[in-house]
Amino acid sequence: MKIGFPRALFYFDYFPFWAGFFHRLNIEVVTSPATHRQIMEQGLKKASDETCLPLKLLAGHIQALKDVDAIFLPRMVSVEPDTYTCPKFLGIPESLFPAVPSGIPVLTVVLNWRKGKRQVLKDLQVFGRQLGKNKAEIRKAFTLGQEWQKRYQDSMGAGWDFEESIREIERAQKGLKDSASPPECGRGQGARTSTSAVSLKEQNTDRLRIALVGHSYLTQESYANLNLLGRLREKTEVQLVQHVSQEDVESHLLGLRKKLFWNHAKQIFGSGNKFVRDHEIDGIIYLSCFGCGTDSMVQELLAWKAREQHKPYMVVTLDEHSGEAGLVTRLEAFLDMVERRRVHEGYVSTYGERLDRDSNTL
Amino acid sequence: MKVTFPHMGNAWIVIQTLFESLNVEVVVPPTNSKRTLNLGTRLSPESACLPLKLNLGNYIEAADEGADTIVITGGIGPCRFGYYGEMERQILQSAGYNYDVVTLEPPNGSLLGLAKRIRYLAGTNNSWAQIIKALRFAYLKSVALDQVEDLIHAARPRLPNSMETEKIYEDAKKLLAQTMTVKGVQETVRWVKESIRESQEKVDTPSEGFNKPLRIGIIGEIYTILDPYTSLGLEEELGRLGVEVDRSIYLSGWVGNHVFQGLAPGYRSIKSYPGHAKPFLPHFVGGHGQETVGAAVKFAREGFDGIIQIFPLSCMPEIVAASVLPRVQEAYKVPIMTLIVDEHTGQAGMQTRLEAFVDLLERPRLQRGIGQTRGEVFGVGGR
Repeated sequence: MKIGFPRALFYFDYFPFWAGFFHRLNIEVVTSPATHRQIMEQGLKKASDETCLPLKLLAGHIQALKDVDAIFLPRMVSVEPDTYTCPKFLGIPESLFPAVPSGIPVLTVVLNWRKGKRQVLKDLQVFGRQLGKNKAEIRKAFTLGQEWQKRYQDSMGAGWDFEESIREIERAQKGLKDSASPPECGRGQGARTSTSAVSLKEQNTDRLRIALVGHSYLTQESYANLNLLGRLREKTEVQLVQHVSQEDVESHLLGLRKKLFWNHAKQIFGSGNKFVRDHEIDGIIYLSCFGCGTDSMVQELLAWKAREQHKPYMVVTLDEHSGEAGLVTRLEAFLDMVERRRVHEGYVSTYGERLDRDSNTL
Repeated sequence: MKVTFPHMGNAWIVIQTLFESLNVEVVVPPTNSKRTLNLGTRLSPESACLPLKLNLGNYIEAADEGADTIVITGGIGPCRFGYYGEMERQILQSAGYNYDVVTLEPPNGSLLGLAKRIRYLAGTNNSWAQIIKALRFAYLKSVALDQVEDLIHAARPRLPNSMETEKIYEDAKKLLAQTMTVKGVQETVRWVKESIRESQEKVDTPSEGFNKPLRIGIIGEIYTILDPYTSLGLEEELGRLGVEVDRSIYLSGWVGNHVFQGLAPGYRSIKSYPGHAKPFLPHFVGGHGQETVGAAVKFAREGFDGIIQIFPLSCMPEIVAASVLPRVQEAYKVPIMTLIVDEHTGQAGMQTRLEAFVDLLERPRLQRGIGQTRGEVFGVGGR
């Protein structure tokens, strides 16, 4: 049996779990190709007008899955206790049925960690019955999935990027299980190998350090974000939400009077707040997309923090009409500003006027 | 302490009653207007949804009248509204308003915390028995309000003079806001019925020219449904076009479900909706997304001529519902129109779309050439 897994939305962050899960069940998982023009266009045609860019991309990726026996669209209600994912995640797969090519069945399962591990396992076992797998098999698959997910999450500290981690998983799927050493092959445009990146970091201490915060399905989606991550990496040292340890995220959430109840928002705000306070970080770029409900709140919360700490902060909002030139101009202007600030920060004019006196106020 | 709260249609009548019966000083903000929206929009995050912008406008206008404490309900997601209390507190603080925000929700799931907050609002002079009595009375009033509203929905396309109908509605709201006794509430409902009956008698036997009014179900996001300023008077406008409307959620239904956690059903309970929605959207999606789909199914089954979904721009649960609704439309062959409102929505655009939609619904009936009678107000509304 061949299951199609669209390379969008929950693919980023949660694919390792599902890859491990299906690997143990001996079910082949096929992912759609990286986003390209046609996928985006197909997605725009089939998805609802009002929805956000990531969901439109998902609709495109669903159509790009060819020659599969079924398409897998899990309903990821919650990935940790006391939180939800975005409401649009909860409406999957029903809201995407118009995009599914006729004749291909959709497999779905509810993943809800709010009710604890037992319930998750129970839901997966019900799902397993559809696949013709018994309870013991599902339990083993679940364990392997979690193991892979954990390994992927732990690896983030080492500065890998998502695609590299996934390649490692793909290799593991093929039976090459020695994952102790980090992967060596770099990937195309804008990528770097992790080993050289580490040494590069040590050599280049005067390079700007920019934090790129936002949903993983935007920051890692290099077609939709016009290769923002790659462009940033050419010029600066980039820190991502995924590079922040869970303890750091939690400790930087403590200042909130009311807990955030979206998992992604928690990650973004927690790590964003850490970046704001981190003197090593020269500036923060918040990557959002038009119509994102959770970002509309979190972006504002983070902007307040950035303003408090006088941290350069820019919001980039993506939609399907984003123009490359506009983005590049804004990015360059932002980096110039951060650079200039770094050079002139300590400058005090002899005649009483400081050059950058007002530039800190965002 | 002067308490204020955000507007949502007629909810102010109920909230005002609640606080007044507890002898808490309450400031009702001026009704939603262009000014409210402008004030609120200035402070809001750009992509926040319309209710947040109006809420902030309400608080600013209430601050001018001396309010210093805000009461708002909360929630723990996944709809954004759950975080609004905290968001609004911070926005107002950074804008220099000295407001205390009390969110009526169990903080971190602790009911004791909720009790403390209620106690803080009610002061020390009220016993718990008094608080519960006040809640019950306010609830009773909200049911009565909904009944009046439903009567007006049925009356608008049937009574000859639309100005008079609106007058009855306005007067009824005023009476309900003033009365503080159960008897007074019942009297008001009776008075509304009486006035409608009088008005109806003026139209003698149903003439042949009149057909049974079209029926349109209004579904969608609760704030936009309940608040006529936000929906640009959607219901009144449809009534003027000779359409009888019903809506998926009434205030007391929401109060019963959201505030009393389902202990009270409210006028037109929303409990049945998830069941109706099941074949199309089997899981809740936050807010009233699933209820919207369920209500659409229910209206379609009851033979409504059309359905209108309305929600504020970028509302997450309703977007999910909107992408499922085409399948409901297909399954039941009922036309569904989606209206999205934000601070730039114009009256004329709305009116044109409504007229076009009503024309579209009327066409098949004209072709069939049936002359049904209009039916009586009481046979339809206020049951």
